[in-house]
Amino acid sequence: MRWRSKRLLFLLPGVSGVLLFYLLPFLEVVRRSFLKSGSGAFVGIDNYRAVFENGAFVLAVRNTFLYMAVGVPLLMGISLVLSMLLRNLLFRRRLVSAMLLPMAVPAAVMVLTLQILIDRQGVVNGVLTKVSEQIAAFSAFSAIDYFNTEWALVVVVCSFLWKNTGYMIILWLAGLAALPKEVEEAAQVDGANRWQNWHYIIRPGLSGSFFTIGMLSVLQIFKSYREVWMVAGSYPQEHIYFLQHLLQNWYLKLEFDRMAALTVILSLVLLAVCLCLQNKLDSCEKREKNF
Amino acid sequence: MAVGVRRMGKAEENKMGSEVTVPAWAVQAYSRWRKRRMAWFAGGICAAVAALICSPLLMIPGGALMDSMEMRRILSPILGEGEGFAVWHLLPVYPTMDHFYRLLIESPAFYQLFWNTAGMTAVILLGQLAVGLPSAWAFAAFRFRGRDFLFGLYVVLMLLPFQVMLLPQYLVLQKLHLYNHPAAVILPAVFSTFPVFVMYRGFTQIDAEILEAAELDGAGELQIFFRIGLPLGKMGVQAAMVLGFLEYWNLVEQPMAFLEEQAAWPLSLYLPQITISQAGFAFAVAVMTLIPALFVFALGQDALEEGIAYIGVKT
Repeated sequence: MRWRSKRLLFLLPGVSGVLLFYLLPFLEVVRRSFLKSGSGAFVGIDNYRAVFENGAFVLAVRNTFLYMAVGVPLLMGISLVLSMLLRNLLFRRRLVSAMLLPMAVPAAVMVLTLQILIDRQGVVNGVLTKVSEQIAAFSAFSAIDYFNTEWALVVVVCSFLWKNTGYMIILWLAGLAALPKEVEEAAQVDGANRWQNWHYIIRPGLSGSFFTIGMLSVLQIFKSYREVWMVAGSYPQEHIYFLQHLLQNWYLKLEFDRMAALTVILSLVLLAVCLCLQNKLDSCEKREKNF
Repeated sequence: MAVGVRRMGKAEENKMGSEVTVPAWAVQAYSRWRKRRMAWFAGGICAAVAALICSPLLMIPGGALMDSMEMRRILSPILGEGEGFAVWHLLPVYPTMDHFYRLLIESPAFYQLFWNTAGMTAVILLGQLAVGLPSAWAFAAFRFRGRDFLFGLYVVLMLLPFQVMLLPQYLVLQKLHLYNHPAAVILPAVFSTFPVFVMYRGFTQIDAEILEAAELDGAGELQIFFRIGLPLGKMGVQAAMVLGFLEYWNLVEQPMAFLEEQAAWPLSLYLPQITISQAGFAFAVAVMTLIPALFVFALGQDALEEGIAYIGVKT
């Protein structure tokens, strides 16, 4: 059995590290979510109840959900349209690289430029005011206070789109490239127009990519917390107070009871979303095979 | 030509032929013109979007070279010292190297932070190569009991945002007495499952037949890994490294949560501390932060694009 033990060695260091730094501590948090920290007494679902009764939690859930409901479809739609346009272009690679560039820009650098552009008295408002002075119809424009009104969410969504459009375009383009060319060519020979080509050939073929890209977009939403925190700090305008702020602030205040419960809740929700999408993905693949 | 000329639809051809007599070359020229117009249209939109996306970056070099007085004047409304709106000069009127002088010569702390970041990134990436690479190979090349479950677990862990893992990781780091030590940031990142996933996808591009043939010819496990797996699956490994570099060069939450001493912080946490009143200096720091990232981006671009495509498409 020499070969088996050797194979085990490939996996062992990685798996033990994952166990030590991810899985076991996570299970410990699950255990702790039913206990009172300090005394260690069993309190049942009290910690969970405390989370659900927390006003900041309700606000954060609503904001995070709204952010996702706006950000994910916009990101997926915009990047899909752009990748359809890019698909047959000659300078595709250059353009895709340019759109991917934000991935290389550290969040701190981006935030620095954002502060100058998106202040109430910043450059963007200055330009908008100049433009509105030229065009009579918009003369009612008054400077928007982006970070102290509900516009904050708009700014966050825009910077999310800025950062992730290139990423998603590459994913869509990969999905498009995996479609068999012959089907489309045959349809064109038979006189299918652009709409029919999209509706009957490309759209069904992309359904697998659709779920993967949806999942990755949700993931990117969570990752974009970095930029939000850098721009607005730990206690931002109330429309951009997300679940990550809540976890981070509870962490700083050492409120580990509620934090453990919230960690479990969030990971269960994410796990459910994952499994749901995986299920859809599998059924898509099965359908493709039957087809 | 940007778009391949499509063949004329048969139906269209017949209709044209029976009703009016338009010469075939004219029909072809017309459809070619239409397609070319479409390509110009699509290219124009995409170029405009690309320009829009890149445009904020144009502010950075000018800002780093701008004289403090000029910066103060054009940003005075933001600094709370004036009415009206801030403006921006893409090219500074009085260019100066003052900020770089101050940063690179007068502040030794900068080098400390720079090498903190570089060292942390390098150690994490090397650790991922040492640990994640063999795991990825094991998932791709071996069939064993529990493989699907274990890999599913890896995928779920990869999708959990950092804040969800914040408390679990704090507990384990506390227990191992690593809190406030650079290893608190490094070790969890080394065992991150995302690079395993990307490398795994790279390895699955290899034909199973090649591996079987090698095994039949008596190649050992290590031989197959080093002689066949690595050379053929290197795109995935490169992609994981490039994605990893961009991620770890830009670490914010982890050092903020686990490192209390500022001396151990990376650059990405130092930059936001510089207030906007020192914008010129901040831009100089931004340039120095940006250069390595852009360098890696330019070098590893093919791998990056390929790697992202691996993430999305099952093969």
